[in-house]
Amino acid sequence: MAATAQNSRNTNVPTKPGVKDMVSAEEWQVRTDLAALYRLVASEGMTDLAATHISARVPGPEDHFLINPYGLMYEEVTASNLVKVDLNGDKVMESPFPVNPAGFTIHSAVHMARPDVACVVHTHTAAGMAFASVETEILPLSQTSMQFWGRTGYHAWEGISTDLDERERIVEDLGTNRAMILHNHGLLVAGPTIPASWVLIFQLERTCKTQLQAMAAAKAMGTELILVPDDVAESTAKGFDQTMQNAAEGKTTFDWQAHLDAMDMLDDSYRH
Amino acid sequence: MTATELKNSSVKDQVSAEEWALRLDLAAMYRLSAKHGMTDLTFTHFSARIPGEEDQFLLNPYGLRFEQITASSLVKVDMDGQILLDNGHGVNAAGFTIHSAVHMARHDLACAVHTHTPAGMAVSVLPQGLMALTQKSMRYYDRTAYHDYEGVALDLDERDRLIADFGETHHTMMLRNHGVLVGASSVRLAWTRLYTLEKTMQAQLLAMASGAKLREPPAEACVKVAAQWDKGDDSYRQDGWESQLRLLDRADPTWRH
Repeated sequence: MAATAQNSRNTNVPTKPGVKDMVSAEEWQVRTDLAALYRLVASEGMTDLAATHISARVPGPEDHFLINPYGLMYEEVTASNLVKVDLNGDKVMESPFPVNPAGFTIHSAVHMARPDVACVVHTHTAAGMAFASVETEILPLSQTSMQFWGRTGYHAWEGISTDLDERERIVEDLGTNRAMILHNHGLLVAGPTIPASWVLIFQLERTCKTQLQAMAAAKAMGTELILVPDDVAESTAKGFDQTMQNAAEGKTTFDWQAHLDAMDMLDDSYRH
Repeated sequence: MTATELKNSSVKDQVSAEEWALRLDLAAMYRLSAKHGMTDLTFTHFSARIPGEEDQFLLNPYGLRFEQITASSLVKVDMDGQILLDNGHGVNAAGFTIHSAVHMARHDLACAVHTHTPAGMAVSVLPQGLMALTQKSMRYYDRTAYHDYEGVALDLDERDRLIADFGETHHTMMLRNHGVLVGASSVRLAWTRLYTLEKTMQAQLLAMASGAKLREPPAEACVKVAAQWDKGDDSYRQDGWESQLRLLDRADPTWRH
């Protein structure tokens, strides 16, 4: 049974009443944060209509995950309309909203292999797809990019990811990294918390845009890019490793409240 | 009724339920293209064939920006761009010529949309044209035609060449030195195809400009994935159309008028 959000600027958003009372407080918190992340990604223009997904692990021993209701724009995702699924993408809690099991394949591969990952974000942005379609890797060009330097996996394109045996190669290519470039396809980040994944996808998008622009300018002017020496890049990347470790230990939320406040100002229906 | 009252009146009671539903979809698509920055002031057109009618079409009221278009302000025209239902609005009959050529030749396409976005115009002038570089771009693989530029005035001769270039099986056409044209069996599919094309062209341009070697997937993979896209269009894929309509309603529900 679907209903629409009340007590909100946005009264026409489909919700599922009663979910808050049916799930643990921890799960409701994850639902709220994940719904906010969908809205944040939308607010930065990183969506692709009804395509692509963001998934989060439900706290607890079960391998249960939350994913967007298939067919809703990110601006309509709410805490209650997120769908709870198992590793096969099958619903484990009744929901009037459909899921896209094929689209969950990449996510389930990561979640299966990486219990340290709380949230997987996948995008099809123009810059992300462009970066993924040229023969390059993340270069130590900027402080922003260095958090991904040597911490990014690369997955060769195999066609539309529906074959379950591709999961093994996705896992192998991701390794212990926090980001992955899916060749000819798009971007993926895997963070230890939902706020960490937000920061990662925002920064990876910016990293790709920056590198593409710098490469184009250098090529046009016949100049070389100025790269940071490997040892400096490595020590910088290690600093970001520590930040991610801090996030995993609950020592930083990356100013998550500020991002929630921004979404509340825009449209607080994600909380329903 | 004054001219202004006529322009602002609803035509809902004067048209079939099927036509009204089509008007809503087409008005929504004009609003969506405005929302996503794909307009060119008051220029370019999206047209749709009215169900059950052989040669009646809906076209934007000339002189309105796309974010101002409503279901009732869409103008019903025949193949020559002659107005069939007076709602106080005019049309750009010359601009309809490309569309009427497509509608005349391709009865499988209920909707024809044309844009002049920077990405579309830029790809249209590249010898490579639209490349199968990203998974999304393979939706257009072997489904995209090319038509050379002949000048602004589209005479009847060019109509024949345009139809010949478009062919029987393509759903998308790069209009060289001009823009893009997308056809589909429904308005909502035309919108998804147009949106996806726009994004894939932006990605292609960024990739090409980087100067790095392109990762070009093998042709056989493109053939396979293109077929998967078609299958998805016809079956399992959710296009999020209703969700997008609710978002339009939230921002400005006047398109439903």
